[in-house]
Amino acid sequence: MSNIAIDYKKDLKSKLKSSIKDKTSTAFKVWISFLTVTFLIGGYFIIERFITGLAATNLSSITPWGAWIAFYIFFVGLSAGSFLLSTLIYVFGMEEYERIGKAALFTAIVCMIVALTFVLMDLGRPERLMNAIIYWNVTSPLAWEVHFYIVYIALLMVELYIAMREDLVRAAKTHTLKGVVARLLTSKNSTINEDTKKRDHKWMKILGTIGIPIAILGVHGGTGTIFALVKARPAWNTALFPIIFVVSAMVSGTALLLAMYVIKRKVQKKPIDEKMVQSLAKMMVGFLIIDLGLQFYEYLTGWYGLETEHLDTLGTMFASKMSWSFWGVQMFLGAVVPITIVFWKKTSQNINALLVAAICIVIGIIGVRFNIVVPSLVVPVFHELPWGDYFPTMKEWMVSIGVVSMGLLIYSFGELLLPIEETSDEVKQ
Amino acid sequence: MGLFSNWEMKPKDYDRIVDKNLPDANKELNESQYDTQLGLNMAKDARKVINGSLKIEDFHKVYSSSLTKEFGRYYASDAPDTKKTGAGPKWVMVIDLKKCVGCDTCTVSCKAENRTPPGISYNVVMESLEGDFPNIKAVNLPRPCMQCDKPACAQVCPTRATYKMENGIVAIDNDRCIGCRYCIVACPYGARSFDFGESYEQEMTGFNDVTSPEYGVERGSRKDGKTPIGTVRKCSFCFHRLQRGEEPACVETCIGDARYFGDINDPNSVVSKLAASPRAFRLKEELGTQPSVIYLR
Repeated sequence: MSNIAIDYKKDLKSKLKSSIKDKTSTAFKVWISFLTVTFLIGGYFIIERFITGLAATNLSSITPWGAWIAFYIFFVGLSAGSFLLSTLIYVFGMEEYERIGKAALFTAIVCMIVALTFVLMDLGRPERLMNAIIYWNVTSPLAWEVHFYIVYIALLMVELYIAMREDLVRAAKTHTLKGVVARLLTSKNSTINEDTKKRDHKWMKILGTIGIPIAILGVHGGTGTIFALVKARPAWNTALFPIIFVVSAMVSGTALLLAMYVIKRKVQKKPIDEKMVQSLAKMMVGFLIIDLGLQFYEYLTGWYGLETEHLDTLGTMFASKMSWSFWGVQMFLGAVVPITIVFWKKTSQNINALLVAAICIVIGIIGVRFNIVVPSLVVPVFHELPWGDYFPTMKEWMVSIGVVSMGLLIYSFGELLLPIEETSDEVKQ
Repeated sequence: MGLFSNWEMKPKDYDRIVDKNLPDANKELNESQYDTQLGLNMAKDARKVINGSLKIEDFHKVYSSSLTKEFGRYYASDAPDTKKTGAGPKWVMVIDLKKCVGCDTCTVSCKAENRTPPGISYNVVMESLEGDFPNIKAVNLPRPCMQCDKPACAQVCPTRATYKMENGIVAIDNDRCIGCRYCIVACPYGARSFDFGESYEQEMTGFNDVTSPEYGVERGSRKDGKTPIGTVRKCSFCFHRLQRGEEPACVETCIGDARYFGDINDPNSVVSKLAASPRAFRLKEELGTQPSVIYLR
């Protein structure tokens, strides 16, 4: 470093380079190259899917929705969950979680991008996507959702910008890669003083408050109504359904943020805020228990009603060749394991154990989403019609891996280029 | 001579030729035993009715008394019945389950008529055995699209690509449909199918030249992707046949004559009378979809 020429421009350039090198640790490089490989493999199948159409899937006219719709609602859930967690910080003033505030907002944006990409994969005519906006059918919950998603993403972006503004202004003065991006995003005259702090704080509160109904009623409750309003499928057609959606969104959102925070800190070898992780874990399991309670009543009501189609759906979920998805993934991995970890004295304080619990919950909620979409669509609308038999094809899995890798790549580069991790006192150092 | 002049025949000139060859109205009418002046006046006003400057009702008002006087009650006619203007037919299908023998002719003729790809059948017959031996009975339930009056599919379609036509048929605009398949999920009758793009490659030669007559539009051959691949398809009551004045294929080919087709707006039609029968019922009536397919049990 001392051999660098005195020439200012060269100096700046090398500083830039070295700072990038500092940031891009070996672990980060391995991570990015791993993601690039999975994204390229998935990308091949995404292109193939666009050429061959939906024939690449195991879907049929009996089971018209499958893995991609399950992943779509999973990621919408993650997004709404992490956004609601961010409102705990910015609207309800729970400052103990402030470390993950901006990460929560950015996760919410990336998850929405991934969710909408899954919808795009699932359309028979993806090139006509805009028709849902051009020819808006006001009685269609799906059309409303598309509009809500756009408003929601715009709101998240503005909110993230305001949350990052101070860090951006600070970063703009440094000669790092983040500084370059920060200079692009801020005007030259931006400053930080008491007034702007107050203003930013106020706007965060306003946007967060607008965002809460949009996220709860619009984005996630709304995604639940896509299913709940379908009278033809009795297992979906309950008023409790959208509420279960929102609650399980909170479960998965909290779990994902917890897992991401711990993993990132471990890789960067930075200290972990153990108190925050423990209290987040408690909150996560709290949401999970509420979710389980609601699901119990949902299944009980359906079973007690003795309606053939509803019983068939529950039978498909609980006692068919696919029931491993319910008992194994949703119940054992997604509920029994994490609840045990968080409540058992020996593991409740252990960060690694809590990390395992969070990952289990995220996987468990994927199971929940599959168990929402598939069993109802395996049972035909008339008993005499053929039953569906759906399991995603290899191609569907590969496309899903490609889309998820795309999301993780966006997140990783976002974190490299934007001041998402910094909290104010860290930057001051 | 005319070859080298700029003079051209105009429409007026043709009219003159026609007028020259027309018989003289006055002379012709004088030969008949009826009133000449009345005939001439009526002819003049009839032209006004044709070009729209006189209403047909007014025409009848002016001449009805003199016509009755001249020809008597028997020949004179009143103004046309205007009650039904604007209300076209509303198509309804009645299926008599007592007559259905479960031969699946409707399914086959539908497939041949609409040239649906593998895995797609607009019409199916759901066969089941009800009761326990020896009190057992075979029930055949043919199921086309119900063409609901309150269609769940049109309600959920995000793009308004599926909609209710005035004649009662639920149509799909295959050029607008984005293929989200929400309608398939929402249809309580399983009447909708997604076109995955498969062809009868193994089964027949010329499979690629197959076209589909969707809603009276000949979309072109499947080879060029002109058929609605990647979108949702369903029974249209053979709209292309209705346009030609023919019944849907399933109605025409039904060997037991179990299917009836007609206009429910016409109280004298066969379907109207059958719909009023105590045997009539509709599938999943509790959902409030109000199907246009009525079954007789």
